[in-house]
Amino acid sequence: MELFKKTLDPIIALAIIALLDVFLFLIVGAWTVGGGETMIAGLVAKYVLGAKTLARIPFWSLVFTPTWAYWKIYISLGMGFGAFVAAVLSKEFYWRVPRHLSEWVMITIGGLLMGIGIRMSFVCNVSTFFGLTPEMNLGGYLAVSGIVAGAWVGSLIYKRVLEA
Amino acid sequence: MITVTGQCVAAFVFGTTVGVLVQRSRWCNTAALRDAMLFKSYRNTKALLVGMMILTLGFTGFITVGNGNPMRFDVGLNQFIGLFLFGIGMVLAGACTVSSWVKTGEGNIGALWALLFLIIGMFAFSLVWSSTYWPPAPAAMTGQPNLSGLQFGFADALTLQQKTGIPAIVFGLVQFAALFGLYRAILRKERAMQEARGQVPAATSRSSSSRAPAAMPETAVGAAMAGGAGAGGSLQEEA
Repeated sequence: MELFKKTLDPIIALAIIALLDVFLFLIVGAWTVGGGETMIAGLVAKYVLGAKTLARIPFWSLVFTPTWAYWKIYISLGMGFGAFVAAVLSKEFYWRVPRHLSEWVMITIGGLLMGIGIRMSFVCNVSTFFGLTPEMNLGGYLAVSGIVAGAWVGSLIYKRVLEA
Repeated sequence: MITVTGQCVAAFVFGTTVGVLVQRSRWCNTAALRDAMLFKSYRNTKALLVGMMILTLGFTGFITVGNGNPMRFDVGLNQFIGLFLFGIGMVLAGACTVSSWVKTGEGNIGALWALLFLIIGMFAFSLVWSSTYWPPAPAAMTGQPNLSGLQFGFADALTLQQKTGIPAIVFGLVQFAALFGLYRAILRKERAMQEARGQVPAATSRSSSSRAPAAMPETAVGAAMAGGAGAGGSLQEEA
C-alpha cells in the first residue's frame, strides 16, 4: 500500500485529521489528549496507591474521578495503536533508546513540565490548537500565547544544551 | 444521543486514524513551533495552520446552526501559565502529547519515558491542587469573571453569537482570514529564502554554519529536530 511506502504530506494528513475532528466535535467533543492522559494518571494512581488512599486526595474526586468509561482515554490509546500499526506496516518500527544522560534528564524535566502545565491550565497543546482556538474560545488565545512563549524559551534552552 | 461505549469506540477509531496519519506524515506539534523559531523551517507549521483553518470553519459553522459540543470552562491566567510551562517542557522532551504517543508506538523508549513523567507531573500537580484549590475545578466555575481566582469568565464563538446576534461563522471567517494571512506570509518567506539561497549560495552556507550548534551541521540538527524519529533522545542517534 502506497501510504506505507513513502512519507505523507503533513498538510494532507492534518487536513484529513481536521475533517475527522469536526465529526468528533459533532458527536462527542473536539480532539483532546490531556484529559485522557489525566484519567490514565488517575487510574494508574488508583492501581498503585489503592482506591482508599486516592480518595483522600480531593483532586481525584472533585475534578477527575478515575474511570475507564471516559472517551478521551481511547483517543490516546488509539494514537499509540495506530502509530504502532503504521510503523510495523512501513517497516519503521524499531527500539530507539536515548544514549546520553543529558537526553534522559531533558526528557524527564520536559515530561514533568508538560504534565504540570496540562493540569494547571486544564488544556493541552491539542485542545489549544485543535479545539479551543478554532471554537474561538478566549482560553485558546491565552493558551496559544503561553505555548508560543514557552516554546521560545524552551528552544533557547535546547539550543544552549546542543551547543554545549 | 451516543452511548458511553459508542463515545469510546468513536474516540478509539479517531485516535487510531490520527496515529496512522501522524506516523506516516512525521508531523509534530513541537516541531511546528520549535523549527519555525530556531531554523525558519515551516513544514509542520503550515500543516498546523491548514488544520486550524478547516477546524475554524467547521466548528463555527456548526455552532452557528446550534450543533457541536464546544468545551466549556472558565478562562483564566492558568491557561497562559500552564501552557507556558508545557511549551518549555515539550521542547525539552522533544515531543508533545500527540508525538509522545505516536513515537512510543514506533518503539521510542524516550517518548515512553516522557509519557511516564508527564503522568507523574500530573499526579504531583493533583497533590498541590488539593491544598490550594487553584485553579478552580470546572464544576465550580460560573462563566462569570472571578478575579480573586484569576478567572475571566467564559467566551467563545457561541457567546459572541448570542451577545451580538451575528452568526458565529462570521467570526469564524475573520479568524480563517487571519490564519490564511499567516499561512501566505510563511509561503512568501519560504520563497524569499529559496531565492536568496539560489542567488548567494556561498553567503547562505556561511551564515548557516555560524548558527548551527557546534556538534553537528544545521541541516542535521534541523532534520533530527523535525520530530521525525524519536523524542529528544533521538537527536544524537540521527546526527
